[in-house]
Amino acid sequence: MVYTCIPLLHCLELGISKEEALEVLQIVRREASGEESQRSVGLPSVRKYTALELLEQEHAQGSIITFCSALDEILGGGVPIGKIVEICGAPGVGKTQLSIQLVVDTQIPECFGGLDGESVYIDTEGSFIVDRVMDVAHAAVQHCHLIAEAGQDEVQLEAAQAFSVSSILSRIYYFRCHDYVELLAQSHLLADFLAEHPKVRIVVIDSIAFPFRHNLEDLSLRTRLLNGLAQQLIGMANDHGVAVVLTNQMTTRFGPVQSTLVPALGESWGHAATIRLILRWEGKLR
Amino acid sequence: MVFLREGICPGATAQLIQSLKEQNVVTLVHLVSADIEDLAQKCSISYKMLVAVRRVLLAQFSPFPSNGAVLYEELLGSTAILSTGNQKLDSLLDSGLYTGELTEFVGASGCGKTQVCLSLAVNISCELKQKVLYIDSTGGLTASRLLQLIQNQVDSIEGQSEALQRIEVVSVFEVYRLLDALQDLRMSFIRQVTGARNSIKAVVIDSVSAVLSSILGGHQLEGMSLMMQLARELKTMARELGVAVVPTRVSAEFDITSCGTLSNQTASSQHSTRERSDT
Repeated sequence: MVYTCIPLLHCLELGISKEEALEVLQIVRREASGEESQRSVGLPSVRKYTALELLEQEHAQGSIITFCSALDEILGGGVPIGKIVEICGAPGVGKTQLSIQLVVDTQIPECFGGLDGESVYIDTEGSFIVDRVMDVAHAAVQHCHLIAEAGQDEVQLEAAQAFSVSSILSRIYYFRCHDYVELLAQSHLLADFLAEHPKVRIVVIDSIAFPFRHNLEDLSLRTRLLNGLAQQLIGMANDHGVAVVLTNQMTTRFGPVQSTLVPALGESWGHAATIRLILRWEGKLR
Repeated sequence: MVFLREGICPGATAQLIQSLKEQNVVTLVHLVSADIEDLAQKCSISYKMLVAVRRVLLAQFSPFPSNGAVLYEELLGSTAILSTGNQKLDSLLDSGLYTGELTEFVGASGCGKTQVCLSLAVNISCELKQKVLYIDSTGGLTASRLLQLIQNQVDSIEGQSEALQRIEVVSVFEVYRLLDALQDLRMSFIRQVTGARNSIKAVVIDSVSAVLSSILGGHQLEGMSLMMQLARELKTMARELGVAVVPTRVSAEFDITSCGTLSNQTASSQHSTRERSDT
């Protein structure tokens, strides 16, 4: 791969004129892109879109509903494709449950307003309990059946038949990572995985805070790794058209008068997510 | 570094260049600093010829001083001031963004840098009807938000779609891709045949720190050099192409005990940094 940045001034070293240097650069780029297209997994070169084209793309891509109307409203229809959504909250507020719900919702057939996609779940805490997933899947299937029967649309009835608990479970790709090294390795492999499974529409990492808060003393290394990971994730979200959902934990910030709960992993991590959802308890409501 | 080659000036024949090469006079600097008499004897070229060639080359390649008044006139003629659409911001920036300069927006997370960039781009596209290149490295750009901002300024659908078409978006998430994108921009400017009417007037980069923060700090040395290369690329682009460049950066305050903070290292040494005040 040729990511060269040859300043045009250097052309004079070869004793050729500026025009000839431009031609050489063009030929090199054409050769490079020709090589890339021959490989199975090629990186696209820098693409320029006008904002109008981008708008059309966004409308076409859709979003993943959460089955909670308040959340869907805040998110503008659901979790958007191609962006990173970070879910933060105190323990027990429902982050893992929300991620499980999203992983199931991605698979809802298109005629019911879903994306009919597959899901990737990267678990770092070990909180992915299959029985719970089955319950959620079951509820989703019931919901779709009800809609299909009420509407009596042929397409919907067919899709509802195909949409079952076992089909949902078979389309969730589950990865278990025990520490940050495994998580980073998995994120590198994820690009290839997404290229091989083009139907994946959501990648959930639950949680991204856990492996980075334990056994990692060097904070600057942590920041660098996290920033690199964030850039990789947003790059993947963009290139492969997936939504990335991360769950984060909370930490306490000590103020002069009182302490507040803030999302963990630091200030610089705050920039990584496009959308940040902070869930908290208010009495008995969340 | 100017290498001597055939045809570089009227008197430079292939034979002359070849015989100079044999004497290790390869660049212009060598020719100018060499002893001409000595060289004439060794190369068996006439002294007059060498002196003439040297004089022509010096006239062609040496810079000549110009006075401040000339520079000022040049600047007045080539600089345009692009209004940001926000009066307070304009007054802070001395009436707007200057082409040929870098204007950097710095701030903590959530303070509104991306929103400022978006409204900048929209204003330049709608009000000033100029093209903007928006380089997004965080994923913070959504076209629907752009449309919302445009709808505040333009009512007709055609006007809105025209304004959207004037904003070009490139998504890069890695520093090498960013450098590639900037290189592409430079090449497209050079190749342009038509006048400056359809060219890009402003380049907004949101954000520079997203691509640089993972490679800076620690024991990595390439990070610094890439940062400086990016800075130089941005500055030369602003100067040569006459565009206003607007990078944004995250400012993060860290404890002294952790090393490798971004707030100490600035991406461009001569820029005007405006801290965004609470509005």
